[in-house]
Amino acid sequence: MTSPFLGFAARAGRAAAVLLLVAVTALALPHLMPGSPAVAALGVTATPEQITAFEAGLGLDRNVLAATFDWIGAALHGDLGHSLANGAAVTTELANRIPVTLELFVAAQLVALAVAVPVALVSAWRPGGVVDRIATAGAFLWLAVPGFVLGLLLIWLTAVQLRLLPATGWVPFTEDPVENLRHLLLPALTLGLPEAAVFTRTLRGQLLDTLDQTHVAAARSRGMGAARLLLRRALRPSSLPLVTLIGIGIGTSLGGSVLVESLFAVPGVGTLASGAINGRDFPVIQAVMVVSAVGVVLATLAVDLLYRTLDPRIAHGHR
Amino acid sequence: MATVETTAARPARTARRRPPAGVLAAVTWLAVVLLAALLLPLLPGFDPLHGDFSAPSAPPGPGHWLGTDAGGRDVLQRTVAGARASFAVAGLTVAVGLLGGGVLGLAAGWFRGPVDKAIGFATDLLMSVPTLILVMIAVSLRGPSLTVIGALIGLFTVPAFTRVVRAVVLALGERGFVQAARMIGTAPLRILRREVVPHVAPAALTFAFTATTVAIVAEGSLSFLGFGLRPPQPSWGGIIAEGRTTLGSAPWISLAPAAVLCLTVLALNYLGEHLRSPSRKATVNR
Repeated sequence: MTSPFLGFAARAGRAAAVLLLVAVTALALPHLMPGSPAVAALGVTATPEQITAFEAGLGLDRNVLAATFDWIGAALHGDLGHSLANGAAVTTELANRIPVTLELFVAAQLVALAVAVPVALVSAWRPGGVVDRIATAGAFLWLAVPGFVLGLLLIWLTAVQLRLLPATGWVPFTEDPVENLRHLLLPALTLGLPEAAVFTRTLRGQLLDTLDQTHVAAARSRGMGAARLLLRRALRPSSLPLVTLIGIGIGTSLGGSVLVESLFAVPGVGTLASGAINGRDFPVIQAVMVVSAVGVVLATLAVDLLYRTLDPRIAHGHR
Repeated sequence: MATVETTAARPARTARRRPPAGVLAAVTWLAVVLLAALLLPLLPGFDPLHGDFSAPSAPPGPGHWLGTDAGGRDVLQRTVAGARASFAVAGLTVAVGLLGGGVLGLAAGWFRGPVDKAIGFATDLLMSVPTLILVMIAVSLRGPSLTVIGALIGLFTVPAFTRVVRAVVLALGERGFVQAARMIGTAPLRILRREVVPHVAPAALTFAFTATTVAIVAEGSLSFLGFGLRPPQPSWGGIIAEGRTTLGSAPWISLAPAAVLCLTVLALNYLGEHLRSPSRKATVNR
């Protein structure tokens, strides 16, 4: 019985090692810049004292490992440094923007699931049927449309041609829930619809496997109706790969949200990152890199735990 | 160039039950795009940077088949020139991915144990950093060059290539002919070269189609965000981004190159899928 816990501990250790390496990479970034980051930021008229202070602030006066541990120590106390661009505390900035990106991510997952689950259920119930063939071909076509093109098409259709929705901008939920949802819809569709294609393909394949298994066949032979059979017997055991996909999605979503957020001018972590990269605002870049890596690692661990809940056989080492 | 329009519609209509027609359409489309990218720039009068100020934002028509952009530059010529950038990046990506993933995958699958674990850790690490952001950082620090962009996107395809190759090598290790070669004392490198690599190559090359689309989309995304080649130098993402502001009055500036990009990705996906499909796999492995 100890082996699953040992396995989990090993995973956690590995995750910590990954995080440490990401932090070292992030802290090493200013060294990779040709020329002096201090001169680039302060201008050629900077005094040696200013340059020394600046380099101390970025940890450029110590070796990378020492700087990393100092950074981690401060980060654990909630201090992620200050932006070079406007002097704002990076922690506050991130705290303002993470909820926006999370809201967008959750909305996108809901869009993807709302499309994928019904389509996959109908497709898997009659494989080779009309719905299945249209869905399979449709998903394949859909996968060829990159996120930024899809977003552009959506803007063109709904905002430019039909004038239904605002093309860009953001209103916080606390300010005006309705406007918030109106501004959320296009970015969420842009992020969620390509995922829907992947979700549909995965869930359909898994459902076909599950429907072949004896417990489902037994329920079927007892005369259980199609809807009940699919929803009560087949969906849960077939949902494991979806959990993985969503978990992996958290990791890749930051890249995707950079695109979608800048396309729709959403003030989330993505636009913070691209702005910081443009302005070589190292403290912000470093914080975004490490915080997003923490997000990926936590998501992976959460997927692992969820797996054990959804399929108890894993926890008991039978699979 | 009228053929572009007819083939453009074809991949969309291909039914999955008729692979040869679909494959033909996909190959034709890719050949047209590649040949155009290679040959058209050699023609006199080809200048994607030349602006015809008498016809800014002209709609598609004779003279400018895909219209002109806000600066009066020919959208078709810019799309063709953008294809060069996209395929150059994709070629580099696949080269880096195949080489890195091939070596790591072979090593992981062949030696197993600690080597496999170490390689698994390295690829996990690579996969846990947001790709696009890291490439953006590199471009902002080192400047936008096709080499930097292609090599970095390639680096991020290494984990996937490694997995593909490793899986095949692991499966091969159990097969009779590899064990037989081991037993009669064939040198490991010779087994790798003669028995393993030929079986790994089809899977790796099939994945190269996927990697190509990944590279094209990633390069497009980067240019779209302003971290690709500098305007006015054309790249697909860059041209699409330039047309954003005139989406209402001159949608072709964005939508024409976007359609070319999507059709190219579709054709590559279709070929990759076709090569991967079970019916073909059975014949390849025999």
